Amino acid sequence: MSAFREGGRFPDWSSAGVAVALLTLPFVLPTVTLASELVVFAIAALSCAFLLGMVGLLSFGQGLFFGIGAYVAGILLEQHHWATLPAVLLAAVAACLTAGLLGLLAVRQRGVYFVMLTLAFAQMGYFAMLALKQHTGGENGITGVPRAPLLSGLGPLAGPEAVYGLLAVVAFLAFLLVQRISASPFGSVLRSIRENEGRAEALGYDVRAYKVAAFALAGLVAGLAGAMHTIFLGFVPPNVIELEMSERLIIMSIIGGAGAPAAAFLGAGFYVLMADWLSTLWPRWLMLIGFMLAGIVLLMRDGLWGGAAALSRRLRMGRQTRG
Amino acid sequence: MSGQLLVFQVLNGIGIGMIYFLLSVGLTMIFGLMRFVNFAHGALYLVAAYAAYVVSQLTGTMLWALIAGPLVAAALAVVAERLLLRHTYAMPHEAQILITFAVALIVQESVILIFDPLAKNVPVPAFLSGIVFIGPFVYPAYRLAVVAVAAAVALLLWLVLERTRFGAILRAGSESSEMVSLLGIDVHRVFLAAFALGGALAGLAGALAAPLRGVEPFMGLEALGIAFVVVVVGGIGSFSGALLGGLLIGVVQSVMSSLWPEGARLMIYGAMALVLLTRPAGLMGRA
Amino acid sequence: MMRRRTLFAAGAGLLAAPSLVRAQGAALPVAGVYSLSGTFANVGDLLNKGTQWAFEHYGSAAGQRINYTLLDDQGDPGRAVRRVQEAMGQGVKHIVGCTLSSIALPVAKEVHARGGVYIHMAGADEATGSECNRSSFRWPGASYTAINATARPFIQRNPNAKRWYTITGQYVFGDSLLTNLKAVLQEAGQQHLGNSYHSLSEREYSGYITAAIAAQPDVLAICNFGNQTLDVLRQAVSFGMKRNVKIVVPWSTGLDQFQAWGPDICEGVYFGVNYWHGVEAPGNSVLQQVVRAKTNAPTNYLQACGWAVAQMLVEGVNKAGNSEVPAVIRGLEGLAYEGPTGTETIRAADHQVLKDYYLMLGKARSAMRDPADFAEVVAATKAFQPPEQTGCRMS
Repeated sequence: MSAFREGGRFPDWSSAGVAVALLTLPFVLPTVTLASELVVFAIAALSCAFLLGMVGLLSFGQGLFFGIGAYVAGILLEQHHWATLPAVLLAAVAACLTAGLLGLLAVRQRGVYFVMLTLAFAQMGYFAMLALKQHTGGENGITGVPRAPLLSGLGPLAGPEAVYGLLAVVAFLAFLLVQRISASPFGSVLRSIRENEGRAEALGYDVRAYKVAAFALAGLVAGLAGAMHTIFLGFVPPNVIELEMSERLIIMSIIGGAGAPAAAFLGAGFYVLMADWLSTLWPRWLMLIGFMLAGIVLLMRDGLWGGAAALSRRLRMGRQTRG
Repeated sequence: MSGQLLVFQVLNGIGIGMIYFLLSVGLTMIFGLMRFVNFAHGALYLVAAYAAYVVSQLTGTMLWALIAGPLVAAALAVVAERLLLRHTYAMPHEAQILITFAVALIVQESVILIFDPLAKNVPVPAFLSGIVFIGPFVYPAYRLAVVAVAAAVALLLWLVLERTRFGAILRAGSESSEMVSLLGIDVHRVFLAAFALGGALAGLAGALAAPLRGVEPFMGLEALGIAFVVVVVGGIGSFSGALLGGLLIGVVQSVMSSLWPEGARLMIYGAMALVLLTRPAGLMGRA
Repeated sequence: MMRRRTLFAAGAGLLAAPSLVRAQGAALPVAGVYSLSGTFANVGDLLNKGTQWAFEHYGSAAGQRINYTLLDDQGDPGRAVRRVQEAMGQGVKHIVGCTLSSIALPVAKEVHARGGVYIHMAGADEATGSECNRSSFRWPGASYTAINATARPFIQRNPNAKRWYTITGQYVFGDSLLTNLKAVLQEAGQQHLGNSYHSLSEREYSGYITAAIAAQPDVLAICNFGNQTLDVLRQAVSFGMKRNVKIVVPWSTGLDQFQAWGPDICEGVYFGVNYWHGVEAPGNSVLQQVVRAKTNAPTNYLQACGWAVAQMLVEGVNKAGNSEVPAVIRGLEGLAYEGPTGTETIRAADHQVLKDYYLMLGKARSAMRDPADFAEVVAATKAFQPPEQTGCRMS
């Protein structure tokens, strides 16, 4: 169940589960737009969970790549009138390249130093966005991003349902990609690096190169999520690249549990729904999220997903012993 | 920029830097000794600043906050350590980062709940509300007093670290906590004391900063950012590093505000990244 | 528009915002977009109260009872737009309020795309400039107004203060204040000695203040907003700048900031404000009565702003005689009414409200007649850019 930590088969039942969830979400939730927001953040949380669960890297900088994806997509769609798919592709590639470059620097350090480096990069990204306000709109963001056709020549995206369809497809592809990597030899090397870096090094693996690749991949996924966010909203608010966004993604991936790709989806879903629902009850709902985070770190290391897995294991074992 | 202005910007930077030193020395101690990053450090600064506000409302001046602030912050630190952090020592470092991050979030929202989100004013003590002339330049008397207090605390702290048994244990513990426990000293009690002391220092910084910056619920975030930069640049676990790092960041910030004001913030985080990349132990830290 | 069928149709009400009654002739549903959590929660709460109390006071418009709901956007523009989309999907067509320009601008586009009417209080010039549209209306004056209604009267009162230094927030709003100020200074033959930019989340201004002092200006103008204005003025005064420099704060929210500074800092400083409770006007008296009944305190800018956008909606609906959006929009364009600052007129060309902007001078503590009497109004000007120059192409 802990696909990141132990490897898994590709595809497995959780792929089917995610597919089913993506298909039914707009009918289960009160609005398509809520479902869309959930899916966007599911992709973004995936990038965080992937780094943490598979490589053991806690990155406070995924918000930076989310923001880069969002701004690049916004600029291409609004100022240069690109079609949707090419814009998304370039946005994701831009985020991936930036992540690769920063990764080359960041992976030279480990542990807490790595975390603080990602924090520094995230802060620099925010101030860079403000400095480039000619292109990014500064504290006002970029408004009026049009719903462009998927490819030039086709019709435009017709309404929120079509957008959701696009989001769901992209989310599923991202999920499959991450799951595939998790089950692949590349994934096992990443896992071995997380467990014992020295040993992996001794076995002859270029640990740094693997880490950079993982970092770039996570950046790609985060950038993809950012581009989706821009398309879904139709504008780019400045908070996509603020430190708070990085923190939000980490909270989502921890709540879900960094153990498996599906866990990230669960965590994002939980956070988005809680934020939506709790905030109408109590403006200080973030405090509850704080308690929840502390509780999960102390009591349920593998987050909600891990908790569910443990529960189902216990039920299965109970049935076996009684059998 | 004239030579005179440059000189004064440097002096001003030293003034800012002393506040940054007070803010960061607790963080670096905890980092060096307990090997984890305290994301709740800003929250300790925050509660002390609000304590200063309450004190100034009750007594008309914030002077008593110089005692109340550190006490409140130390109390919060102890509570957080006993209730939450204690359980995470065996866990990987992410756990401590995340727990302290959660604590910071809870404290911030609590402050908004108890007070309201509007910025609050804490007046400077009346006898310090004037200005002092340094050559052709002016400097607020209160800031000078803060520098003096920070310098006194720095001296006191140095004496504690170098001349007392507790200080020796702290220094030994930051080199090797196993060695300390092998000597029969309860390492966890040392941790608790260090955490409380670090919290108290952050609290003092918060109380002193309240009249300068105003008191509002998100001031902890800015303080945390600065503290991280200072600790990284100065060197993790190093008292002199916190001093040097604080002064350096303060001077950079002050000089940049005349040379390249838009880039001041960018430069500070850039400096942090640069140090982390080239010499992660910082200027004064041990590798 | 048909309600979406959902599996949890009953439970959906729990997950969505508090119930929004469909306009069936009996009630007019109105939604307010404010932040109760997040960094700007302080602002959002007071704005919301102003709006709420206004709708309570008016009760109904054109015979329809007003049913007001708050949409909390948590300071997140994305969430604001999503909430507005949901509300409009449930039949709400009348939206008011915003906590930030970064929220108002996208919400304005969304409301326009879905055929609603939106009245807000964003400060960004673009709201009635390059981003104007037929559905949105804006109450406060923006940077052009702030500078022209502050700097010009100031220069008239202080003909010997010719050398200006500025401390400016390096973001869109700060820049627009600076650009407008430079234009006025040039026209008036004043000297702009220099400018210090600072970034959006700056807290430490001693370096900028030192540079300002070194330039030896007659006037220091502070071009930013919010907590940053609080910090810059507080620190500038602590450096003794008031001894030989006049300080001008063109963009201030007035009472709440005065209370944060205290009279010793405010004394002798010039402030530009969009609203002041001490101004005699019939609309202001009504507003003050309601607020005093609720809070036993004078009205601050945020409450007044929240009130004003609500009042505008009511006046527009009343003028139109019904709540149909095209009629309301037509009713609002060119409408003159008694608002919190006196007679206010809604300009049809760009949907900007033409109203007084005040220049105030801080009083000495001993001269304060009551605890809220921080400053006196020394000028009230309606200063607005001609619509052709705002960049507004009304669609």
